[in-house]
Amino acid sequence: MNLIAKRFINFYHLSLIFFVLFCIFFIQNTFSAEGAPCKDYGECDEFKHTLTDMSSLQRGASTYLTYCYGCHSLEYSRWNRVASDLEIPEEIFFNNLVFDASVKPGDLMAGSMSKTESAEWFGVAPPDLTLVTRLHGSDWVYTYLRTFYEDSSKQYGVNNLVYPGAAMPNVLASLQGNQQLICKQIPVIAKNGGEKRDDFGNTITKEKCGFLSVESGTGILNKDEFDKLIYDLTNFLTYVGDPDKVERERIGWYVVFFFIIFTSLASLLYREYQKDYH
Amino acid sequence: MIGLTSAFGAAGVPFAATPFIASWNPSASAKAVGAPVKVDITKLAPGQQIQVGWRKQPIFVIRHSAEAIKNLDSSLSKLADPNSDAIDEPYKNQNPTRSKSSEYSVLVGVCTHLGCSPKFFPEVEPKSWDASWTGGYFCPCHGSTFDLVGRVFKGVPAPTNLKVPPHNFKGNILTIGEDEEMS
Amino acid sequence: MSTITKVFDWVNHRLPIQNTYERHLSKHPVPKKVNFWYLFGALAAVVLVIQIVSGIWLIMLYTPGEAAFASIEYMMRDVDYGWVIRYMHTTGASMFFAVVYLHMFRGLLYGSYQKPRELVWIFGCTIYLAMMAEGFLGYVLPYGQMSYWGAQVIISLFGALPYIGESLELWIRGDYYISGITVNRFFALHVVALPLVLIALVFLHLVALHEVGAGNPEGVDIEAHTDQDGVPLDSVPFFPYKVLNALVGIGVFMTVFAIIMFFFPEGGGYFIEYANYEEANPLVTPDHIAPVWYYSPYYSILRAVPDKLGGFAAMGAAVAVFFVVPWLDRSNVASIRYKGILSKIALVMFGISFITLGYLGTVSVTEHRKTMSIICTVIYFSYFLLMPIYTSIEKTKPVPDRL
Repeated sequence: MNLIAKRFINFYHLSLIFFVLFCIFFIQNTFSAEGAPCKDYGECDEFKHTLTDMSSLQRGASTYLTYCYGCHSLEYSRWNRVASDLEIPEEIFFNNLVFDASVKPGDLMAGSMSKTESAEWFGVAPPDLTLVTRLHGSDWVYTYLRTFYEDSSKQYGVNNLVYPGAAMPNVLASLQGNQQLICKQIPVIAKNGGEKRDDFGNTITKEKCGFLSVESGTGILNKDEFDKLIYDLTNFLTYVGDPDKVERERIGWYVVFFFIIFTSLASLLYREYQKDYH
Repeated sequence: MIGLTSAFGAAGVPFAATPFIASWNPSASAKAVGAPVKVDITKLAPGQQIQVGWRKQPIFVIRHSAEAIKNLDSSLSKLADPNSDAIDEPYKNQNPTRSKSSEYSVLVGVCTHLGCSPKFFPEVEPKSWDASWTGGYFCPCHGSTFDLVGRVFKGVPAPTNLKVPPHNFKGNILTIGEDEEMS
Repeated sequence: MSTITKVFDWVNHRLPIQNTYERHLSKHPVPKKVNFWYLFGALAAVVLVIQIVSGIWLIMLYTPGEAAFASIEYMMRDVDYGWVIRYMHTTGASMFFAVVYLHMFRGLLYGSYQKPRELVWIFGCTIYLAMMAEGFLGYVLPYGQMSYWGAQVIISLFGALPYIGESLELWIRGDYYISGITVNRFFALHVVALPLVLIALVFLHLVALHEVGAGNPEGVDIEAHTDQDGVPLDSVPFFPYKVLNALVGIGVFMTVFAIIMFFFPEGGGYFIEYANYEEANPLVTPDHIAPVWYYSPYYSILRAVPDKLGGFAAMGAAVAVFFVVPWLDRSNVASIRYKGILSKIALVMFGISFITLGYLGTVSVTEHRKTMSIICTVIYFSYFLLMPIYTSIEKTKPVPDRL
């Protein structure tokens, strides 16, 4: 037995185990944002989910049910599953967050609006958002919700940077304030890395457009508070898109360990047999 | 005797195969779907396109600006089949728009290559697929291109122009899938 | 005599258990020295079993027809561990192709198709063909956007055939668009018809292999030197030596499998495409449609040819050409180790062009990429069509006598 233990912890196996663990850790970090990469839609801000942060998910759920659920269903998800996954006691959940008294705990979150009616109002029916973080990616959702800007040429008076022509009003405008697309004078950078100056020592600037700026005092929340709100909301949608992710990865570690040990045992056994053949 | 028995037996094979093959044809219920659809085109601005569904197929309705109609001839040499000779064209030689109206085009939005739905790019500007783009349709699947009235350009995989469905205009109402004057 | 022995004898007189065990396992000789390239056949068998078992369970959870999309989310959320079964099947599909591509490359590398193994190779190519059909049909079943538009493109390929094209398309779909009717028939083919064909072909592949014996990376004929019982000197019995060897490979493979399945089931959008998280919509093509990675080299070839029928023909030829490889290779040696420099260059070029085509098939078309895909398509076909020339003119090294 001692001999096997000694052999088992040899360099080869140790390095194999470390390599595998390193791979998981590395790739998991690289791909930690859920869903599709944002590159197809323009520049997005990076979003890193924290699916074990229950208070963030709870705040996100509350924001979703208050501001979004009126139009956007989560039709593959069930009320009581969300309550239990987010560790919200059912009583509190149904009394404070569910605004429809006819809802039973095991029901799907199918929305309250009829698809045909809403299609008439908005031109298209507001899409179901159960899978939005898997379809567009959570980076995109996080960016989309923060990049509405005023554009009077559009039906709802707003346009969006990562989804131009979005047929949706900016529901969160009262929280965020009026955001506009502005142009800024930015310093021209000289070849040596410093700012370029003219003969009088003034900084030379050029105009660059496409910056977002919120009119101060128009929103209830300041920028950090609003970003935090959208972070929680996106975190919640990431959970809804893949509710088993945390559990899946937890089980995954056991399975991977099992197969590493199995491989090591099989290779020891094989060597044993190989010896008596030669 | 062996020959006769085998020949007789083999003759039965096509009969036995018939129900298995024929059951894959569209069923009566599948055939029954496909009533014509009506669209109100008053809201459509010049240069705009809307998409409607008919028989679960996307139908493009485009209102051309006068300038766009004038420019149609400028890229004539780049088209593979400018007069739609290769396909069954329902309203041939009536209008440059290929439809029954001099201002609107009505097209089946299904690429004649492998059935994707092309995207509308009306701008006249260089595109990644064509540096001298003059507006029209680009299919994201295999890169086929069509002009603003759905005629296919040369050197792309799509063999023919986009189809024009039967349609008619009555005031502001466009009916797709039905045309009393045809028939 | 114990009862167990009696029962065994009784059965053995009526069913050739002992014979089969000895012939195909305990006394079946396999070359004693092979490398890791020779593991992928066993791995493919493992994935086949995974796919069959997880597939049977998926049938219990899946609803065909236009309700398919919702039934996928049902099994992923409402069914206990439903996600394990589904991710096992989706990961298995990609892994199946991965090991089969490596297995096929091994064949090209060491001349596994050469006399007397031509039939083994042809059965293998047929399995590959059946797998492609099986994979395509399975991909349509979730009825997402990629399922729909992928199927639309593939079915439209048949429309390229002259005269019968359009009615053939309609006949395959059974409707004027890809509807629940189409999904239902694809479901039947995917879960019953093609698996039966696949299993039968795998059986034939193995029977033919055991008749002629496995090859080795040296290309040495081990049958040339046998002991007095006719057992090749350079061989070991399949069981337990090769089985244990394979077990180590299977362990490594299953570790990789588990990592993908539990941590990256979408494989960065290559194993499950993101656009498939949206239900099929016949009116809107997604901005960017690409086949799953294992078809993308052929999709690139299709796109490289600016002609509908020509593209279809090129794509078909790219798969069909594998079947005739045993007759294209005129070399007097099997293994790349003893072939000349031309063969080596050709194989490397082929590998590069295959991977490049695969990459190009997953990205959108631009003029530059189109030129690239044309060049790679030419290289792809040159590898095969010039093979009779470069394998017969190059100088080969002498093959050793023993393994």
